Amino acid sequence: MAEARKSMIKFKPKKFKVDDIIKIDFIVIHPMETGMKKDKKTGEMKPAHFIDSITFSLDGKPFTTMKVWETVSTNPYFSVNLKVPGKGKITVDYTDNMGEKNTKSKKLKPKG
Amino acid sequence: MKRRNFIKGFCAASAVAVTMTPSVLLAKDAPKSANQLTLDMAIKAITGGKDVAQSDKVSLTVPEIAENGAVVPVKVHVESPMTDADHVKAIHVLASKNSNSRCADVMLTPLNAKGYFATRVKLGGTQDIVALVEMSDGTFLKASKPVKVTIGGCG
Repeated sequence: MAEARKSMIKFKPKKFKVDDIIKIDFIVIHPMETGMKKDKKTGEMKPAHFIDSITFSLDGKPFTTMKVWETVSTNPYFSVNLKVPGKGKITVDYTDNMGEKNTKSKKLKPKG
Repeated sequence: MKRRNFIKGFCAASAVAVTMTPSVLLAKDAPKSANQLTLDMAIKAITGGKDVAQSDKVSLTVPEIAENGAVVPVKVHVESPMTDADHVKAIHVLASKNSNSRCADVMLTPLNAKGYFATRVKLGGTQDIVALVEMSDGTFLKASKPVKVTIGGCG
């Protein structure tokens, strides 16, 4: 198991009510190597290393799935909308092409 | 061979080598990534040969000029009621001249409430960004916009 990568989930706006439509931003610190770059020290090609699938779920029920290729930037950022149905937990699972798996979650707390 | 001619030839050859930037040379010689797809191939793979209509419903927000091709923000908005019967099924973001055109496929559900997706992509040079949208009734919509890149982001 590889070390956990730094990632974060943000809700925009920060304060929201039930039935509001919010943005969910997900950012992960990941090199996203294309496999076309040379390592300056060794002179060998760096192997491709990128996130290839992401799943956003609410209380364990996936609502958005993504397939991603190496053409997405380093430290990728993804943003989708969600209509807040009530209290819950947003979980984002992601895997990369080297089999690394990670999970990040944040509680959804609507006010009012 | 005369010494004069030799030197002339050598100068010309080195000039060619200099004008061909390392990235161009690299791109030619480098073993390409495993998923190498042109835009046409990618669209065919997604739609399965169905017609794609250019539509006003899809709005794509990209910068006109991107100074750095490594980070180009892309936003896709699709007008849709997002009900169970009529919603955006998937948004595909494609770049026309990258060696692998496919950037991201996003499968949405009615829970999302809006046909919206934003990310950041790498672009190897000046090219078009294409947003291909699959609706729940199986039709495909498309929007594309050119982005001018001053420094490439791939390789």
